[in-house]
Amino acid sequence: MSAQIFEMVRGSLVELFGLDPARISPQSRLADDLELDSIDAVDLVDHMKHLTGRKIGPEDFRAVHTVADLVQATERLLRS
Amino acid sequence: MRSDAYWWRWLATGLCFAVFGAASLGLGLAVLPLLRLTAAPAKGRLRVRRVLAAAVRAYLRLLPVLGVLSWEFTGAERLGRPGQLILANHPTLIDVLFLLGFAPGASCVVKGSLWRNPFTRWPLLAAGYVPNAPTGLMIGEATAALAAGQSVIIFPEGTRTVPGAALSFHRGAAAIAIRAAAVVTPVYIRCDPPTLTKREPWYRIPPRRVHFSLRTGADIDVTGLRARASGPLAARELNARLLDAYVRELAGP
Repeated sequence: MSAQIFEMVRGSLVELFGLDPARISPQSRLADDLELDSIDAVDLVDHMKHLTGRKIGPEDFRAVHTVADLVQATERLLRS
Repeated sequence: MRSDAYWWRWLATGLCFAVFGAASLGLGLAVLPLLRLTAAPAKGRLRVRRVLAAAVRAYLRLLPVLGVLSWEFTGAERLGRPGQLILANHPTLIDVLFLLGFAPGASCVVKGSLWRNPFTRWPLLAAGYVPNAPTGLMIGEATAALAAGQSVIIFPEGTRTVPGAALSFHRGAAAIAIRAAAVVTPVYIRCDPPTLTKREPWYRIPPRRVHFSLRTGADIDVTGLRARASGPLAARELNARLLDAYVRELAGP
């Protein structure tokens, strides 16, 4: 997992949801640990669209449960 | 103690449901689809909504004549503006009729069970309303409708109020407001005595005639909030503000 992408993702989570960066690790679960819900997911996906400049479909983020999943999905998008 | 022409009201209530069902099918299967067929999609939907609104208003005028309920709606003329998100609390089954009737042309966020109901699904489909799930679809379509200059009706509770429980708003309405609303307008709905709630079946009518009182509240400006905070944080703050406004209004006399 790229440290740079992780920092970018962590920065997004802090900016969007006002989270404490110290609480965000790759293992953090988006719903259970960071308390994000389905509405937050929509905002997050929109933010990632802007950040990556890529079109994002629902399949791209379906299996994302942890921050690590989110970082990997973002990496895949940037490579495509 | 049953009074106030209880048995007449009971019969008339049943009749009103029957009329509603027949009208939903008649409009939904015959009249409204024809309106869609003869026009481009956006124009057809608008025509359907206006015809529906007229039918709903006629129905609302019928109800007091039959003696099942009385109603008053102050500030209704302020509904139906471009880009307006219309909010309302949801004490009874028929609240939405008042909003549909007096915000003609408005779209409406509608929950899943109504799309599957064999009576209501047809007018809903013809009118092109917004489904409330999945979340992404709801937010996308409601936002697009507002951006296109429609007004959109939404119940932040997502379903009818649970009698006796504290008021609770889902953040979806606030999120949509932050994204795309030109203005947010709350409508406060009271029903006394309570009827057609989540708890009671329709045939348990109250001992006296029901009175609906609706009031359009002051517009809520979201542009300041939108500029100050990220989308998710602004939506959380707006949601808290909205809930507070409703709790205070509904607690009063």
